[in-house]
This record gives sequence, C-alpha cells and structure tokens, in this order.
Amino acid sequence: MARVNNWQLGREMSYWYPESRPEKQFAAVFDTNKCIACQTCTLACKTTWTSGKGQEYMLWNNVETKPYGFYPLAWDLNLLEMLDGQQWSERDGKTVYEGSTIFESAPAGERVLGWRPSDEDYAYPNVGEDDCSGGVDGGASLEGTHDMAWFYYLARICNHCTYPACLASCPRGSIYKRPEDGIVLVDQGRCRGYQECVRGCPYKKVFFNPITSTSEKCIACFPKIEQGLAPQCFENCIGKIRMAGFLNTPDKAQADNPLDYLVHIKKVALPLFPQFGLEPNVYYIPPIHVPTTFTRQMFGPGVDKAVEVYRNAPNDPDLTSLLGLFGSTAQITRRWKRVGDKAIGMDEHGKELVSVPFREPVHIRPAYDKLYQITRTNCP
Amino acid sequence: MRLLIFLILLTLLVSACGHVQTPTAELNVAQVKEVTTDPDAAVWRDVPLHISKMIPQDLVDPRVMEPSTSEVQVKAITDGTQIAFRLEWIDPTQNDVPGPKHFLDGCAVQIPARIDPNVPAPQMGEAGKTVEIAFWRADWQAIVDGRATDDIRTIYPNATVDHYPSQARSLEGNPQALAEAAARYSPARAVGNRRGGPREQPVEDMLAEGPGTLSPAADTTSKGKGIKTKTGWSVVIARQVPAGFSPGTPTQSAFAVWEAAHGEVGARKMRTGWVPMILK
Ligand code: SF4
Ligand code: SF4
Repeated sequence: MARVNNWQLGREMSYWYPESRPEKQFAAVFDTNKCIACQTCTLACKTTWTSGKGQEYMLWNNVETKPYGFYPLAWDLNLLEMLDGQQWSERDGKTVYEGSTIFESAPAGERVLGWRPSDEDYAYPNVGEDDCSGGVDGGASLEGTHDMAWFYYLARICNHCTYPACLASCPRGSIYKRPEDGIVLVDQGRCRGYQECVRGCPYKKVFFNPITSTSEKCIACFPKIEQGLAPQCFENCIGKIRMAGFLNTPDKAQADNPLDYLVHIKKVALPLFPQFGLEPNVYYIPPIHVPTTFTRQMFGPGVDKAVEVYRNAPNDPDLTSLLGLFGSTAQITRRWKRVGDKAIGMDEHGKELVSVPFREPVHIRPAYDKLYQITRTNCP
Repeated sequence: MRLLIFLILLTLLVSACGHVQTPTAELNVAQVKEVTTDPDAAVWRDVPLHISKMIPQDLVDPRVMEPSTSEVQVKAITDGTQIAFRLEWIDPTQNDVPGPKHFLDGCAVQIPARIDPNVPAPQMGEAGKTVEIAFWRADWQAIVDGRATDDIRTIYPNATVDHYPSQARSLEGNPQALAEAAARYSPARAVGNRRGGPREQPVEDMLAEGPGTLSPAADTTSKGKGIKTKTGWSVVIARQVPAGFSPGTPTQSAFAVWEAAHGEVGARKMRTGWVPMILK
C-alpha cells in the first residue's frame, strides 16, 4: 500500500497504488434541490449504453429517493454498517477524517472493505420512491411547509474516483484511469469477470454482465467528452441539475472554473460519502430541507456550511448566475463569468458558449384577459 | 467369526467402490492408444492415481481465507500427442450459471512452458518463466452441452425484455448489420474477449508469467469435458503433450480448483504445488 493525499479527508491515506493524478479530472456537480426524479437521465444512459444482452438490469445512472431508496438494495447502509467510527475533527484549522477508509480497513486477504450485491439486490431499482422519512400528520402538507418528514432525490453515476476502489480491487489490473481526463474504464479485453470491482466499489457502480461474463461500468460518455460535450445524462437532464467539467485540486482552484468555484471556493458542492476514501468526483449540492444530521453522514462535515451558502444564493449574484448555467448548453463550460445580470459560459479558450440571464423577467398577468374577455386560472 | 464378517464387509466395500488404488506420490502418466475426454471412459480405471493436497492461493490478495477443497484426485494418460488429465474433487453444489454474486465451478491444469530443471514459481509462473494453463469452467460445459447462450432467460427464466436495439426490425434480413449491432452492444465480444457466449470447448488455453498476467493463448487447442457426479466434479482436460516430455525427461504439473459456492473466483482459489509428472 502507498501513502497518498486525499484532500477530501484533510489527510494522507493508504491506497493500493501511488498517487498519480490525471492531467485533468472529469468531475460534476449535481444540485439535489432541483432533481425531480423524472429518470430522463436514467433512460438517456440506458438507451445509449446498456440496451444489450446481459445489461438488462444495469443502470449506470440511477436516481433514488433518500432515505429509503437504494439501487442496489442498501448499497450505502451495508458499507456504513461495516465501516467503524466515521469521526471527523478540527485540527489546526483543518477538518480531518479520523476514521478509517475502505482501503485502511480492508480485512486480511482482501484489497478493500467491500461486499457483493446479489442479483436480487438489483431487482428493485425504484424501492422507496417518494417515501417520506417519517409520517406526516393529516393535513400538514396542505398547511404549508412542515419539518416532520422529508425525502430527496439522489441521482448517481460512477464518481470516476481519484482513488477508485474498483481499480484497486482488480487483481488483473483490468481497470484503468485515463491520464488525460481521469475517466475510469474497465478494459473489456482484459476483464475476466471476477467481479472483484463489483465487490469493491462502495457506490456499486460496476455491474457484472452475465452474458459476456465481464464487468461493465459508466464510461462518462467519453466519446462526447473528447469532443467537449457533456455526457448524455447531463445533456438530457430535465431539471438542469447537472454541470460537467474538470476539477482542480484545492491548491490549484481557479475561480473562473465553474466546478472549482462551486467545490473549492464556495464549498457549496460536496462529495458523496467522502469517508469511504475514494475522493469521488461527482459533487452534490445537498438538499437544504433535510436535517443535516442525515446529510452530514452522506456528504461530510461541510454540509451545514453548504446549505447556508445555497440558502444565501439570492444575495449572492455570482453564485446565482453560475447556478443558472447548469444545463444551459450541451457543451462543457470550462470557464464562466458574470457580466451584469448574465452568466456567460465559455470554452477553455474563453470563447462564449452560452449566455444566461440569471433573473428571468417576471410578467404578472391579470386573471381577467380584457382582449379575449376571459378569466384564466394559473395552476399553482 | 468376527474376522470373517470383517473380511466379507471389506470385500463388499471394495467391490462397491470399484477398486481401491494406492495413490502415488508423483503423477504417473499412463500410455494409451488414444486419449479420451470422457471422464467415465473405462480406460481410466487402471491408470495410477495421484491425490494432491490443496491449499489456498496465498501469494496475492484477494485470497481464500478459509480452505475449501482439500484435495484433488488426478489421473493422466497420453497417446504421445495428447495428454489428458482427469481431475476429481468433492463439491456438493453445481454452480454453472453466471450472474452477480454467482460464480462458476472450475479447475485448471498448469504446466511449465519449457521443461527445465529450474522450474517456474508454482503460483502462475514468473517473469521469463511462462506457464501454460488449461482452464475448464462449468458454465462453458453447460453451453457445450447445449444450454442456449445469449438469452437472458437461460439465466432468469421469468425475465421479459421489450426490445433490444441490436434486434431492431429495420435490421432484419441483413446479417451483417445484425452482427454489427450485436457487437456494438457487447463490448467484450467486440474486442474478441469470449468469456461468455457460444463456444466449441469448455476449456481455454492460457499463458501466465506470474499472478495477474494470465492471458489467453494465441489459440485454444485443448479439449475437455466435465460431469457433475453425486459428490463433486469429474473433469477431463486434454492438451498437447509438453514438448520434450519423455520417459527420461519428467516435468511438473499443478492444479487449481474453484468452488463457486465458497465465493471462489480468479485469485480466490485452492491450488496445489508442483507435482512431478512422469512418463513410465
Ligand atoms: S464510483 Fe465505483 S466504479 Fe466508479 S470509479 Fe469509483 S470505485 Fe470505480
Ligand atoms: S434527468 Fe435530471 S431531474 Fe430528471 S431524474 Fe435525472 S437528474 Fe433528476
């Protein structure tokens, strides 16, 4: 095992291979507050990549309702139960993970701490859909907001981790991380279907294909990325919750890189289960209506601050404008700036790709239309 | 009287088991007119028996922490061109259907690529000292025995599928377009990795130069056949005689067994050390 730096943990950790960061790292920010669980992303991926034989059950992209939705069943709970003492502390002004990662707590004979989902665990992709965390008293939801119960949608793809557990688990070295963009791929020529990656990935984003007898996973639509385009699940997202790009390490953060701005500067977007130790590269703006006692375990100790920053977005024109760029173009916005009340998305050379007003003009239309002499009722 | 009863019982026992053979320390390869891949063929009856103790693969992680298959019974025959090994081991469950968390029973025979007093490391060879491995897998056997491939219903009989783009109506009557579409949705096949799907033999020939280096040989020439017995598996793997193997020039062989129900797959396996292989 090598010692590597995991900035999400605020410390070094043990990993199977030495640190070797790609030239640039594919990454994404998902705004959970905007997802409507329409599953358009799921279908966009399914029809593009996993319509083959043996791929029937695979959802490289899935959207589950938290707290009771999982695909596969209990993917997160199973590991959380196995992983001891997930404590964070403040040390010298730094937030440091004091617990052990899945690499550091690998039992004897294993490369990582993991578990294997069975085929039945994949059989209920929509389990828990729209189930509330608790009961709602009669009539409460009609009276306005309440804090009795909550749920939110968690859209998930492979995190193209900096320290992939899938890659570390493969005794054949059949999984590789592309040096040019950090995308993690299973070499379909080398894979012999041992399913070690399926066992090792804590996010359960590698799938065994029983017809080809090899393991397959999200490829971040690399043929699109190579052309400067966002993956299918980003381009097709109805809720415009997703932004694709490339993320720098915190010491190299650039304010005009949309992802660096959200993750490193505003710290409004957080990794999914950073305590697992993989330095995952899909970042989530946490749901602001959910008790942070729950989301802190899922998104780490930065969650209270992130919620505060997001709630304050109306007073923060820069942040508001950048949030408006989500889903505004099929291209990857490598850079951005705010000009007045507009957000400009640009390619890596600063060429404008899209310009979005961050406050749409508001028209208030009287209920009675004099011209047509008719009364119209708006839906709430 | 007691002695008589004992002798009668012993005779009954011996005749019930066929006949009892005293295992030999080495693997003595018997010369026959023609090798067979049939594990039940009569020719095996009088071939010397070798019983190899098995231990877990213990060089790399992941590994089996609790030993499973404790021994493998091996017999070998040759006709001068082909050499056939019959491996028998105890395994109460038949695991030949792939799937998530479903592994496949299997076994393998390993032989140094070159006969040399300086033998390769017993666990899959080492750099510059290649080993040849012939690998048999239970699902491949099921396919060779007639199980339909490429149909999810052979694995999940109640599965329903609306549509595969690779079988779109617009492609009907155009074999080339159908083949291209099938490959597009089957990346492993498209790059020639035939872990699953139709096959002629339940065996695959491979080469290795140490753990993690296993790769398919240019061609699979080995044959085989496996039968599930009441107590386990009886599998024949027949391959080319190692170059130079003769009565005066012995070589080595090693064996591995995967018991799928015990989660064994890949590096998680039971194996033997090198066993001297002698042609009488
Ligand atoms: S999310 Fe899982 S499959 Fe994706 S890179 Fe990380 S460990 Fe590998
Ligand atoms: S398409 Fe967008 S809004 Fe719809 S489920 Fe997917 S992530 Fe959520």
